[in-house]
Amino acid sequence: MTQQAQPVAGEAATPEGGRPGRQGSEARPPRRRTSNARRRRVGTTLLLATPAAYFVILFVVPLAVLVVYSFFTYQNFNFIPKFTWANYVQALTDPALRVFYFRTLRIALGVSVAVVVVSYFFSHILMYVLPGAKRILFFLVLVSLFGGYLVRIYAWRTILGRDGALNDLLIHTHVVSHPASFLLNSNFAIAVAMLNYLIPLGVLPIFSAMQNISPHLLEAAEDLGASRLRTVRTIVLPLTTRGLRAAFAFCFIATMAEWVTPQLLGGPLDQFVGNQVLYEFGETLNWPLGAAIALTLIASVVALLGILFGLLRLVTR
Amino acid sequence: MLRRWSGRKVGAGVYVALVLIFLFAPLVVVVLISFNATSNMNLQVSGFSFRWYRQIAGDPLVVAAFGRTALAAVATALVSGVLGLTGALGAVRLTPRWRTAVFTIPLVPLAFPALLFAVGLATFYHAIGIGFSIWATIAGHVILALPFVFLVLGAALERFRFSLLDAARDLGAGSFTIFRTITLPLLRPAILGAMLLSMAISVDEFVIAFFTAGSQQTLPLVLYGRINLGVNPGLNAIGSVLLVLTMALAFMAARVSVLEVP
Repeated sequence: MTQQAQPVAGEAATPEGGRPGRQGSEARPPRRRTSNARRRRVGTTLLLATPAAYFVILFVVPLAVLVVYSFFTYQNFNFIPKFTWANYVQALTDPALRVFYFRTLRIALGVSVAVVVVSYFFSHILMYVLPGAKRILFFLVLVSLFGGYLVRIYAWRTILGRDGALNDLLIHTHVVSHPASFLLNSNFAIAVAMLNYLIPLGVLPIFSAMQNISPHLLEAAEDLGASRLRTVRTIVLPLTTRGLRAAFAFCFIATMAEWVTPQLLGGPLDQFVGNQVLYEFGETLNWPLGAAIALTLIASVVALLGILFGLLRLVTR
Repeated sequence: MLRRWSGRKVGAGVYVALVLIFLFAPLVVVVLISFNATSNMNLQVSGFSFRWYRQIAGDPLVVAAFGRTALAAVATALVSGVLGLTGALGAVRLTPRWRTAVFTIPLVPLAFPALLFAVGLATFYHAIGIGFSIWATIAGHVILALPFVFLVLGAALERFRFSLLDAARDLGAGSFTIFRTITLPLLRPAILGAMLLSMAISVDEFVIAFFTAGSQQTLPLVLYGRINLGVNPGLNAIGSVLLVLTMALAFMAARVSVLEVP
């Protein structure tokens, strides 16, 4: 609603700057108008150019450099600026890396779907079942968002470890007789930790999408005798698809490029593609190959998301 | 309110409670164990003590890392605050359509994987011959903080009364006077909030620091290094410090920028 009111105010704020202003500004005395306007336009450009330059130099250029490095030749622990496709060939054909890819993909898909489902139900309850507690519950989710990334991953080591809190609890409640060791250093631990820090990020877009649904629509559906399920299926779900898609995409990208969680909570074999990138950068010092792996990873993630969303659109149409 | 709770509401309440318990469990566990008197790592908390906090306070490596984390947080806040402010000052002069565009571009790093940006930054520093240091990390933290700075400032600009600028100009105020007496005071809470948020992001940040800080480790890097050496309760103290710091900064950011509504 503020969106609609805003352009009027904004238009009034820039009576000059090459655009025909509103009536009032035309009526003003034309003193120093043109030179002032030009000076202001130069000023605006300069003001915007400062953060833009920073952004370009420290975000766009580094990624461009990464692309350039991915074509460098690796020789005797050194990389020389000689063009080669070899890194990409290896990144795409290495059988060990393919294993990493499929494991990463499997866990990423599972975690992303789980995050979206959990977040959807959570948002739905906040909006329509417990609207009285909406604000405080959403605030709590936001608080947990700032609970620290590394700290939270690390915490699961103390919770899921052999002498950890969960085993402690399970033994005390006589669920198990001796500590379960499969909890830590497993795909299970990785998935739990990622779910844990991604759920707030899933709730965020889905909840805000739901908040934008006009309550009148739901009232109308109710008045016309639609069941709760039907209302959700025909109104709430279609109108939250953007939020759902954003949540899924965000989680999918984050999990596909993750390396800290498998490093700290996975077994030696439960590594992700990201860990291979780390390995090339940190151990073999084959940066060109690491760069090629990282870039093929992001390219395949974007391609997969495109295919997935394309298919979804075909199915739901 | 003694309204009868329907089964649906009870079920919903249980669901929400379970999700929240799951979200907060790791945080609670870390803080709880950090006060444990023994080196037990489970929930059999046997007495309250500051033992582990004393231990890390006497650890020169941790203290140095804490100093670097604080430096990174402040520097990130200052740089991203200045960049955000200049961007916002430029943006207030634009038409709404352009303003939306200008405020959308810096959001890109938000969805961009940190790993990719981190290795990009590392190769960039290598290419131009800059060694890894805390300053190299700070430069990267600013990029991560900018989306949040622009989100907060963008929200503030949505409520900004642009007519005030017009009025001041009509009354003959110069650009600097307008900035000093209108734009800055009105945007100050948002800028402050954005800077606090930047600090929270910098304190918590791990991946960029991992690839660019070199030997000048920040607190999360020390924590990571020690996790690999083996778990000990002192780690929970470091984790708790990080956690409390991040949450406090984010909370203050929320308070400050919410208060701007007159």
